[in-house]
Amino acid sequence: MSLTQGTPLVADPVTRGRRRAGRHDRAVTARWARISYVFVSGYVVLAVAFGVLPTLYALWMSVVDSSGSFVGVQNFVDVYGDFRFLPAVLHVGAFVVIWLVALMLLVTVLALVVHSIGRRWLSTSVRFVYYIPGALAGAASVVLWLFVLNPTVSPVSAVLHAFGFETFVQTVSPGNLPVIFAIIAFWTGAGGWIVVMYGALNSIPTEVLEAARLDGAGAVRTALHVQLPMMRKWISYMAIMSLAAGTQLFVEPRVLSQATQGVVPVDYSLNQLAYLFAFQQEDLNGSAAIAVILLVVSLALSVFFVIRGGLFERD
Amino acid sequence: MITVHRRKATRRRERILLTAAVAASLLAVTACSSSSPQAGTSGTAGGSSYGFAAAPQNTSAPITVWVDASRQPAADAFVKAHPEIPIKVETYDGGANGSGSFQTKIEAFNQAGSGWPDVVFSTQNNDAAWASQGSDPFTAPLNKGYLEKSFLDGFTPGALTPTTVDGTVYGLRNDLAPTVTWYDKSLMDKFGYTVPTTWEQYEALGKKVATEHPGYIVGSVGDAWTPEVYFWGAKAPINVVTGVKQFSSNTSDPKSVAMAKIVDSLLKAGSLAQDSVFSPEFVQKYTGKVLMMPGPVWFSGAIFDNKTSLNSAPGTIAAGLPLAWDGESAVAGNVGGGTWYVSRHSTNLAAAKAFVEFVTSSDAYQVDLAPGLPAYKAAADKWLAKQAASGFFTADFAANVTTAASEVWTGWGYPKFSQEAIWAKTITPPLAAGKSLVDLLPTWQTAIKNEAQVNGYKVS
Amino acid sequence: MNATSTRRRQQLTPGAWLGRAAAIVVAVFFVVFFAVPIVWLLLAAGKSPRGLITTGAFTPGTLGDLAANWSTLVHFQDGIIFRWLENSASYSLAALVITLVTTIPAGYALALGQFRGRRLLLTTTLVVMLIPNTALVLPIFLELSAVHLIGQPLAVILPFSFYPFGVYLTYIYFSTSVPRDLLDAARIDGCGEVAVFRRVAMPLARPVIALVGFFSFVANWNNFFLPFLTVPGPRSPIQVGLTELLSNVPAFNPTAAGVTTIELPTLALAALLAVTPVLLIFLFSQRFLVAGLTAGGTKE
Repeated sequence: MSLTQGTPLVADPVTRGRRRAGRHDRAVTARWARISYVFVSGYVVLAVAFGVLPTLYALWMSVVDSSGSFVGVQNFVDVYGDFRFLPAVLHVGAFVVIWLVALMLLVTVLALVVHSIGRRWLSTSVRFVYYIPGALAGAASVVLWLFVLNPTVSPVSAVLHAFGFETFVQTVSPGNLPVIFAIIAFWTGAGGWIVVMYGALNSIPTEVLEAARLDGAGAVRTALHVQLPMMRKWISYMAIMSLAAGTQLFVEPRVLSQATQGVVPVDYSLNQLAYLFAFQQEDLNGSAAIAVILLVVSLALSVFFVIRGGLFERD
Repeated sequence: MITVHRRKATRRRERILLTAAVAASLLAVTACSSSSPQAGTSGTAGGSSYGFAAAPQNTSAPITVWVDASRQPAADAFVKAHPEIPIKVETYDGGANGSGSFQTKIEAFNQAGSGWPDVVFSTQNNDAAWASQGSDPFTAPLNKGYLEKSFLDGFTPGALTPTTVDGTVYGLRNDLAPTVTWYDKSLMDKFGYTVPTTWEQYEALGKKVATEHPGYIVGSVGDAWTPEVYFWGAKAPINVVTGVKQFSSNTSDPKSVAMAKIVDSLLKAGSLAQDSVFSPEFVQKYTGKVLMMPGPVWFSGAIFDNKTSLNSAPGTIAAGLPLAWDGESAVAGNVGGGTWYVSRHSTNLAAAKAFVEFVTSSDAYQVDLAPGLPAYKAAADKWLAKQAASGFFTADFAANVTTAASEVWTGWGYPKFSQEAIWAKTITPPLAAGKSLVDLLPTWQTAIKNEAQVNGYKVS
Repeated sequence: MNATSTRRRQQLTPGAWLGRAAAIVVAVFFVVFFAVPIVWLLLAAGKSPRGLITTGAFTPGTLGDLAANWSTLVHFQDGIIFRWLENSASYSLAALVITLVTTIPAGYALALGQFRGRRLLLTTTLVVMLIPNTALVLPIFLELSAVHLIGQPLAVILPFSFYPFGVYLTYIYFSTSVPRDLLDAARIDGCGEVAVFRRVAMPLARPVIALVGFFSFVANWNNFFLPFLTVPGPRSPIQVGLTELLSNVPAFNPTAAGVTTIELPTLALAALLAVTPVLLIFLFSQRFLVAGLTAGGTKE
């Protein structure tokens, strides 16, 4: 459904009018071009100030030292050589892998399941329940999970005890952290993706599904051969976005570190390390180097997707 | 997907948005205007008499004070005693367990160029190492004309060492925190044990009680300050600052290894707890079962004489002298003993001065309310007398605590980074998972050296 | 649709029944997974610290305990919780206004205009839109710090206002749902470009304005990293404030023991308060939101 269908009466005479006015048209185009600059100006200023300039500034900071003289890749070498860097990369990597796999698998399955619910009100309600934790992003969700992970107060303490966790510190022991961060991220973020996938499934014409059914395909085969291919684009979109977002882990380990008396270290993730470089070692250049590394990763992912993903083929 | 048919439904929403938008722009305006500098500041610049370049002063400006939750009563007591001095109290984590929040927050204000608190309390005693340094040092020097010499001399000798850099005092000690050997005298008598005076006897007793009375403990390694209790008190050369930028650490020194072996054998015997002494689990498991507990003096009010913690019976708990290695003289370790710092950027140094002098030396806080041994000598004497009078602690409490305070081993330094944070992240998890501390010593050593290096120390 | 599925249900094979049962189990399990923490949070805020540990997880608390927790919370540092909430509100709303003012015309011009640099701007928007906002936080911090804006409300509001996703949404909307011809008609009637935008495009754009507004508000309200760095201290928004509260909870910061200021239920109440505005928006605009989420990248 688009607006055109809603306003057929207006559309017709206009098209005719347009055909009539050749010279007028060119004047309009020129006027349009000028005024377009005015229309985009505010956004362009912001984009330059908070998209382009900071990126360039960080790039520059990452190749000079604190006195401003050029040092090449020295800051990157220093950061790489820092004993906290590789562990942080591994931490973030483990989290991203677990999270991505869980997200791709579960979101696809849940979208299919929700889509197969026949009753409309039920399907809507279930989607809504899945989606609502999205309201609790940021620090609030981590604070909430501090409770859920604490066997003494947790609503699911039986589950924690079943895993052998008797205290909060046991629950959040270093080996469990990637899984825990993945669960928290899944809890807040999966619902939105389920809704998106559901929308993608809805765009498959009923006749196609009906045809598959008549051919004797069961639910599983329909999903595999008809629905999944239609969702593929969205799944890869989700994967790229989540991959980029996952590398940015910050608030979750920070809050957990605060709540575990330092057993979860303050230098767990790359962003935390960048923060320490800036605020504990007064090494803004090292911090910029980490920021550039993280930025390059997500920039590369997003450029790759814009070019290869096919989701934005409109223009 | 969004259709024109939904226009009516969204119209109301839009109206709400619009109202909100107008409200927002108004808010934005007020938010901006509140950031403009306060009118009416009297611009008396200079302050060379303080020994540093002070900001323009305004004696009616409210001072902002950062305390941890445990020091809130100190601020409250000040407000009660000096209602005429305007003060804003904010709590933060006090840098507990080496979280570094004091430093990172101040560093953020340095970047902002404004917003610093006037007075800060820190639970750590190594903050002077960074706060007095750098291009824009935070702490005001205190003994260059800002505070009177007579006042500074009132502190117990050596109390200000951790906050002194190159002869300049940058912070005031809130309390002294030497380690003593806490024990339950009633239990010792009941079991017929004698109180150990050496680490060797301590280990033997720990093993003995484990077999004779399982469930009773002789200490805990569940907290981040374990190295300061066990390794500082064992003269282990793990945290040695040899110069402003020189550091050394040796976890394979015989003393380090000997202490690690004791910890391992007691953990194996089961008479050393692995829970944090502040955790509900510890209180639940060990109330009435703490036979011994080497630990800082402030355990007195924090654990023993505390209704929400072990809540020991009056007259049962005693503070023994620090333990020695067989044939050597005893030394004490030290766990914090909070510190107060004044900001160089303060616009009301007079009020800040009144505040720090009050909280470190006044009877109203240090004697009546403080949970630990005051660093200010006169207050300490009264505090000890008060403890003696209450009779809560048995044996020679005042004498032993005073002795311990004078025996803090000077071989353990105060570098920029926190040993507590290193222990918490490197040793606590594998120890809890059942690894041996002796096996972990090389890992610990590497972690310490790494941390020292990134903080700009030359490690030897 | 319903009739056909009822009919088909009778013909289900045992295998299909099993599959259906599995699907129901999965759906229910995840309903529990997503809902339990939120339900628990609602209940926990009304319990006493003792009650939280001793009573069952889903036993409701009492109004008296809720009032006690409320009183502790609002007295904490003289009601700084309201200051944090107010900060959050003012940052998010101010950013919302600037976002709308810059985003809607930009999306409009990108969709319907023809000017030099349009493709470049469009591609840049797409690329930046896909970068997680946290990735730019440190560079933005370094930049703001270089121009001495750190600590000022503008240091949050301005970066918040840069919202490429909003431009993209508006662009999609105008290029799919508003016919060029309609605008041309207005032009022939003698309207200037600004008037065309104001009188024709804007009224048509209401749904997308609401959508961009919603996403921007929610994203900004929940943002932690940027305000954490750029507006330290009392200017913090509620998300940062929450973590400050956390350091006063004895269960999480042992050295705060002895003098207890914030107990777990009070922290739960604070968390609840922090998410309430967004939660309410979610509840009351569910239908429209879901439509919007899907519209985010669908082309028709």
